[in-house]
Amino acid sequence: MAEIEYVRPVNLKDALNFLWNHGEDTKIIAGGTDVMIDVRSGALDKKYLLDISRMDELKGIELNDQGLCVGAGVTLSEIYSSDLLESNALALKKTAYNFAGKQIRNMATIGGNVANSSPCGDTLPALSVHRAKALVADKKSTRLVPVEEMATHAYISSLSPKQIIIKFILTPYQDGFADFQKIGRRRELAVSRISMAVFAKKDKEGRIAFLKFALGACTPVPHNMELMEKFLTGKTPTRELIWEAGGLLAQKMIEITGRRSSTIYKEPAIQGLFMRMLYPVVK
Amino acid sequence: MVNIKFKINGQKKALNIHDDMTALAVIRSLLKLTGTKEGCGIGECGACTINVDGKAVNSCLMLGAQLDGTTVVTVEGLAAKDGLAPVQKAFIENHGVQCGFCTPGILMSVNALLQEIPDPGHEEISKTLAGNLCRCTGYSQIFTSVKEAARLAGQGDQHG
Repeated sequence: MAEIEYVRPVNLKDALNFLWNHGEDTKIIAGGTDVMIDVRSGALDKKYLLDISRMDELKGIELNDQGLCVGAGVTLSEIYSSDLLESNALALKKTAYNFAGKQIRNMATIGGNVANSSPCGDTLPALSVHRAKALVADKKSTRLVPVEEMATHAYISSLSPKQIIIKFILTPYQDGFADFQKIGRRRELAVSRISMAVFAKKDKEGRIAFLKFALGACTPVPHNMELMEKFLTGKTPTRELIWEAGGLLAQKMIEITGRRSSTIYKEPAIQGLFMRMLYPVVK
Repeated sequence: MVNIKFKINGQKKALNIHDDMTALAVIRSLLKLTGTKEGCGIGECGACTINVDGKAVNSCLMLGAQLDGTTVVTVEGLAAKDGLAPVQKAFIENHGVQCGFCTPGILMSVNALLQEIPDPGHEEISKTLAGNLCRCTGYSQIFTSVKEAARLAGQGDQHG
């Protein structure tokens, strides 16, 4: 294998120009925490490594008339320490708290997590809850892609080799209950087997007035489970209701994946994790 | 080949490295700073932890070329001329070291933590150490060592 050539353009324009000409032969590197695994093992069969980790155009978190914008190059540590995300996208902030280990959170970027298209990308459920769209650009055009459509299959991104994710535009939600939960082989630093995120708000009578929920890791691509929204909205959350909803969720997962050897574990685990996550909203 | 310039343990370095080298390989193979260890090589064990611009990172998952322009501290850079850093003293005195393989990485994680949070609580220490595997101590002595390091550093015994 020929040696990989490292390229670090000074700005986004140069990076998009480079990808326009060499995209097929290029692997983009930002935080590197996924890419370096393949570089080290020799599994990376590209000619160029394009470093976009220092581009100002991909940085920053801001609330403007587009929505809540999170640059693709923002690290998980930056997400965790953002006050703006604490008040407008708490589920994403909670995701960052539980994402891998601190050394990885300091490097890994939200754009890289999505572009890598791993089914177990931890940022996906929270992005889906906030109905996030990715602003994707190549040299000649930009488009907005719903985050659930960023991966077509497990590990297969819908990005073309000429494209870069610039930022994510989230719908901000304030003053409600938000959480992210996952199950892995151990509590810290494990690949998620099941992950889920939620944002919910109750009305004065204690009924669920608003709910967004998404499931990740146990299906090939993340799903914004609108059936949970439909099932729970307008109802008073009781222990029994949440348990029933968790059961529905597990059935939906099986509908998507089919019955597998792991289903015997995942079916009750999804129901149980849903119960654990939503229990604080039971009055 | 890529030219990089960076500062490591107070010294300026200019190197010509292979494009696909990890930061860990630059530090161990080119600079012969072998205090930083390679454990798993895939970002799980934390033995290769270094501080880049004040942040703890896994040097096995960092591209060497990305060191360009940064300021790096490895375990060799913790101690000052007049003695060990508080974090090192605390680990020795509280038996935070057994076989020692994970220790350089843990010291660098803790060094970054104490710079960010001078008086960390149990949860903050726990979240920090989650990225560093130790199979000897059972972590109890490490927690004690970190708390003692924070206390020593707070008394003005600051190096590193």
